[in-house]
Amino acid sequence: MAVFPSEQWFGEVREVYNSDTSLHSGGGGACDSKAGLGIGDKYYKIEFAGLECANVGVCSESDLSEADFIIEMPMDAWVTMIKDVQGNGKASSNQTLNSLDLDHEDGIARSPIDDQYRQDLFYRYNQNFQDFFNASSRVTTTF
Amino acid sequence: MSENEPTKDSETAKPIQGVPNPTYEWMGLTNEWGIRVKPGEHGLRLGDLNVGIYGEVPERWEDQTRRPRGALPRPGIPPLPYSLRSKHEVWADCAVNLYEEAIQRRWIPATEVPWDLLAELPEDVERSVCQICTELSQCANTELEIITYWQDQMSYGYFEVKQYLATATFDCARHLEVLRKRALSNGGGLGIESRGRVNRMILESSGGWTEAAVYLYLLRGTYLTRLLVGLLEYAHNDAESYIYSHMLEDHARHLTYGYDHLKYAATHYKGGPAIMLTLLAIGEGMFAAEIEDPVVKSAMAIIFGGGIEGGRTFGMERYLLLIREFLQDYLELCGWLGVDREETLHPKLKQYLEI
Amino acid sequence: MSEAIDMQEQHELDTSWMEKMGEWGAKATPGKRGLTLDDIKVGSYGDLPKDSDNMTGRPRGATARPDAYRVGAYSVHTLSEIWLENAEFLYEEALQRQWSSATDIPWHTLKPLPDAVEEAECLLCTFFNEVEFVAGDVPARWIAKTTPDYLEARNVLSAQVMDEARHMDVFRKRALANGGGLMRMSGATSGFIGSIDLARDFTEMSTRLHISGEGAVLTMFRMGELFGQNEAEKTMYRLCAQDEARHVAFGVMHLRFMGATAPERCEEIECYLDEAEDQLLAGQQNPAGTQSETSEALAILLGGGVEQYDEGHRKLLVIRRRQLKEYMKRVISAGFSTRFENGRSPIPAAYASTN
Repeated sequence: MAVFPSEQWFGEVREVYNSDTSLHSGGGGACDSKAGLGIGDKYYKIEFAGLECANVGVCSESDLSEADFIIEMPMDAWVTMIKDVQGNGKASSNQTLNSLDLDHEDGIARSPIDDQYRQDLFYRYNQNFQDFFNASSRVTTTF
Repeated sequence: MSENEPTKDSETAKPIQGVPNPTYEWMGLTNEWGIRVKPGEHGLRLGDLNVGIYGEVPERWEDQTRRPRGALPRPGIPPLPYSLRSKHEVWADCAVNLYEEAIQRRWIPATEVPWDLLAELPEDVERSVCQICTELSQCANTELEIITYWQDQMSYGYFEVKQYLATATFDCARHLEVLRKRALSNGGGLGIESRGRVNRMILESSGGWTEAAVYLYLLRGTYLTRLLVGLLEYAHNDAESYIYSHMLEDHARHLTYGYDHLKYAATHYKGGPAIMLTLLAIGEGMFAAEIEDPVVKSAMAIIFGGGIEGGRTFGMERYLLLIREFLQDYLELCGWLGVDREETLHPKLKQYLEI
Repeated sequence: MSEAIDMQEQHELDTSWMEKMGEWGAKATPGKRGLTLDDIKVGSYGDLPKDSDNMTGRPRGATARPDAYRVGAYSVHTLSEIWLENAEFLYEEALQRQWSSATDIPWHTLKPLPDAVEEAECLLCTFFNEVEFVAGDVPARWIAKTTPDYLEARNVLSAQVMDEARHMDVFRKRALANGGGLMRMSGATSGFIGSIDLARDFTEMSTRLHISGEGAVLTMFRMGELFGQNEAEKTMYRLCAQDEARHVAFGVMHLRFMGATAPERCEEIECYLDEAEDQLLAGQQNPAGTQSETSEALAILLGGGVEQYDEGHRKLLVIRRRQLKEYMKRVISAGFSTRFENGRSPIPAAYASTN
């Protein structure tokens, strides 16, 4: 049983996501992105290459200076989202990454160098990131 | 008022400080309400939407705005230069289904062609393949340019055709891409450009889209089908097979539209067949001159013959057979369209049938 | 084959063209993304002419023929006019991320809505259907005017034409799938000065279309997850948003390239941005703009009904704020930040007033 958030947890989600193409929904497709996840005071680097999630690993915030964008939320917001995915098999409409971004005044995705072009990659690759987190419905999780 | 009829609720709008009063003027402004098209076994397809007034495709669409067919017009909107406003100038019944088919049958050259299965070929064969890729690239470029030129001028009364042509635009871009990739991935390079007689003829079809379609689809397109079939038959590896077979699929869709449109034009526009006859009489001469050009002829012969030596015998004979088969297809299509060319086929093309 | 091939016949083959081909020995190899347009920029095939003299439509790097016909009256023939650094990348991304409105939208999740909500959604869909006509027509027109030497940028535009056809299709489907219908056209997309249609320069067009128009629409599509009433609508808007983000990326990167390589045009570009910002604030082409029918419809959708109009309008103001903020940040990313610092742009003040 993997604890969220942890490298083990992300590794298990990554394996589920990569191994089952039925999780890759229409409008997804190959994605080349190096993004960051800010979960409370922890940071993870997540890398997509082609049709796979190539890597997810713990890092420092400064390691993310070259990231396309960072999705950052307080821990409890992440937990709410993951619990929603776990309970429903995928994110409910008010717990998708897009909805959460819209619900927050300044959004949840930011470019570490404040470049809107890079931040727009969160919109361009939204479906892949959403599919990734939806895949976590198959990972037994503790918090 | 029934559940599904639009309502006018302006009397219930409440003024809120800082929030402008809504007028709701737009409510109830519709031509036809209560439409509930359901998805079928292939999903919700564009053709499924042609119900009620939304399916009425008039013979002439006078509206020069971007009004969606079936939407209410708005007075005072300046016109746009949509010059093709008659159905016979653009229509094909199959366009709406071809649009969905194109989307379902999309392919991605970068990742779906098994590029790792390309293997070194004898130099004369590699040069010939690369030359043909270059030639086909220019054909695709011409098709892209002529479609996008006319697409912009087609009115929205016939949006199905515009949407289908958008898929054809995308197909042409993909062909340009994959042909360039093939030419630059096996130790070769691009060839010499096409002389461009027929390209010019297509691009100079300024009379209308139908006139362009005669050259693009009926004359040159029918030839390209045979060319692609030949290339597929003699593909050297799975990468080439994949490329040619998928290009052929896309091309088949283009021709389905093209032939269907020409048939519609020929049967719904009184002067259509006569114009097509004139165009073909001129075009055949241009086309005959183009296929006499030694570059494509010898390149295809080398591909068919497995090299220069084989090209001199079997290869060239096979290419001449290709031309004969194209001409037989072409004449049959002309007959079907009601623009018979059997007796009046340009002599320089007729000679191929007599070889 | 339908006929026997004569193996005895010997033909002359003119293979002199083999000595005149383009740079030879190109062997692009697939990377982890497959064989992309970027991978085939090998040797001289990757060289982009700053000013293209290609008048025959030949593929970039193919050898010119002295007897080739000139067919290209390409008005876009300088690199700075159209290029963007990541054209190859955007094109390949577009190919990978295509979707089908027929089968990828869960249409079965549509359920009857209160009349006013259905009308609001149908008005919005009518508007988006109309607006996407522009976004499909106009890039197509510019493809035909652009030299094939800039194949990569042209291919991105071809992909956009395909995307916009899909958007036109999905909004028409939504309008006719849930008991509603099309409403009155907006007229926002017609031919008056300052409109995208009438631009006579590519960068002018791109500034209006990609940065201003599509930037605003992108925010709307993203908001679809908030105002969509069911899974079908939310999915529809989300997928459209992905496509739209690519189009916006084209605009930002092209403007960035233009600004860096043709600084003498920066003041001219600032004028286009002045006009685009006036349009953005006036709201005719911005559905979230003030005093437009679509903004009323959006307020109804965001609030969940007519009775919650004021709440919906407050949410709409949040959308406008976001549109303005992201617009500014995109223009800054494109290299034109000064206009927000020196008071030229009215956007900062408008943004501040939404607080």
